[in-house]
Amino acid sequence: MTAAPTGDLTGARPAPGCSVLNDVVSLPPAGGTISFARLDGARSMPLTELYELSGRLARRLRARGIGSGDRIGVLAANCPEWVLLDLAALRLKAETAGFDPGKFDPDDDLAGRYDLALLFTDRPATAPRTVPMTLVGDLLAEEDDPHEPPLPQVVWEPDDVTTVKFTSGSTGVPKGLGATAGSVDASLAAVQEIFEHKPGDDLFVFLSLSLLQQRYWVYSALAHGHDVTISTYEAAFATLRRTRPTVVMGVPAFFETAKRQIEARLRRPGGEDTLQEAARRVFGDRIRYLWTGSAPAAPAMLRFFDEAGLPIYEGYGLNETCIVTKNHPGAHREGSVGRVLPGKEVLFDEDGVISVRSDRPVNRAYAYAAPGDSERVFGPDGTVRTGDVGHLDEDGFLFVRGRADDVIVLDNGKKIVVRPMEESMRSGAAVAECVLFCPAQTELVAVVSPASLPADHAAIARQLARANASAAPDERIGRVIVADEPFSEANGLLTSQFKPRRSHILDAYRARVHDPKEGIHAS
Amino acid sequence: MRPDIELTARDHLSAVLNPPVAPEAIDPDADLAGVYGLTSLNKVLFLTEVCEAADVDLGHFTEDDLADMRTLRTVAESLTLHSGKAV
Repeated sequence: MTAAPTGDLTGARPAPGCSVLNDVVSLPPAGGTISFARLDGARSMPLTELYELSGRLARRLRARGIGSGDRIGVLAANCPEWVLLDLAALRLKAETAGFDPGKFDPDDDLAGRYDLALLFTDRPATAPRTVPMTLVGDLLAEEDDPHEPPLPQVVWEPDDVTTVKFTSGSTGVPKGLGATAGSVDASLAAVQEIFEHKPGDDLFVFLSLSLLQQRYWVYSALAHGHDVTISTYEAAFATLRRTRPTVVMGVPAFFETAKRQIEARLRRPGGEDTLQEAARRVFGDRIRYLWTGSAPAAPAMLRFFDEAGLPIYEGYGLNETCIVTKNHPGAHREGSVGRVLPGKEVLFDEDGVISVRSDRPVNRAYAYAAPGDSERVFGPDGTVRTGDVGHLDEDGFLFVRGRADDVIVLDNGKKIVVRPMEESMRSGAAVAECVLFCPAQTELVAVVSPASLPADHAAIARQLARANASAAPDERIGRVIVADEPFSEANGLLTSQFKPRRSHILDAYRARVHDPKEGIHAS
Repeated sequence: MRPDIELTARDHLSAVLNPPVAPEAIDPDADLAGVYGLTSLNKVLFLTEVCEAADVDLGHFTEDDLADMRTLRTVAESLTLHSGKAV
């Protein structure tokens, strides 16, 4: 299914149901509740009240000159004001730009750099056109002007940009990317088709609302009448227990952390008896499914939650593509990232590098990027070269094997995708992380981050033997260099999303990687 | 800082550190992120768990309070203040 066009040339309002976004801005919700959770408690309001408040805020912003085509920035922790600003902007046909508080400084001339009419922030700031989030409450408290005209009828056309999102690049200045209304609608429609969120569901969101996809679940609640809970990052674990959501929107790092928590509870004297009980203690007793994406999930973690009675569904997508594939209750295959969603097409070049074509592309270029950046990623029709390598199986499930950049070409011409071997090494308890290099095109050399200090060299050697035993001859690792200290953000060898920085790791261990006498040698 | 709360904090912190560090080996004044590589998510988990174990309502704290807890000592002292049994 492809998202239907959201308007025609006359600008007439599309029929309800054609566009979630246009429904959200035009129609009061039928039901549902939104809850906002912080460490010190939670506050709930009917979605009807949220809709009314967003309209009032839109009128106040309009009175201050904000209108169609203007851009409002938000740099703040998750809170009611964030959601209200987002919805108010939608109702004015203004764009938003969400800034991750951990990555941006409000005083870094964000308003100037990103063409913001106003930047709302909960951080101390003195920059021009930068205002505190508390202004939202002040605006809402102003008395209504009885002569104020109603908000205009707003229609979001498929190619209209609703928000600027920023790539989470681990280095350099993040690139901006305007997300089109058509891409938002297409993703929401596709997700709704496979997960059927409905009254009685409560979707739990704790990742930053600066990520557009986290705001999807507010739009979904307004459109489909289910509940949604927005938690601060810090309150995530505490709130889960109180809220009893049916769906948790997470990322692999979160679920890995939860897995360790559940395992610790099982080990604790007097703790829960079963894995299922321990899992329910963490996630509550109403979970329908867990959503994971944005980074590859370890197979062991996925199996753990399935065994714990909490189905977890991995998907695939980039900022530039939105959601491309997703496992779901009706179609799930272990090891895959699911089938291709309606409106998306997955293409492969001769090396298996994945490109994604969308009926409704997120965009066709970056909004803020260095010359050449857009051309490297986007084709003229918006097709996105992902840089990932994979294949579709006979039933249409996508398997992602790694990054094209992580393909090693041996001197015999054989191409080795390093991720499976790296995962094989990581499956051993003594290895926290592993990256492979091929210094002489003949031998694979691993640099491993030890899981404990001092490193257990004997256990790492055993893991090397196990990994090699199940690998094809060309994929076997010749030597393992054990890092002097675990990879971490602090030493620059992990990104903020805990992914290894290959080039930094090679820089740190280059001499040993290139010295054939160094390391633990395969037997 | 109450000794029992400090011990509880040591146990729960040790449980989330990767690579592992024994409870008794944790320097109470060392920066949890810089020295022990405590990630933000693991910090949230650690504080949630230690509050439950020490019977301290996490609701006593704000998100900013959590950000200010950068060492084992500041965690244990903060919990002691709200334990209701400070000595």
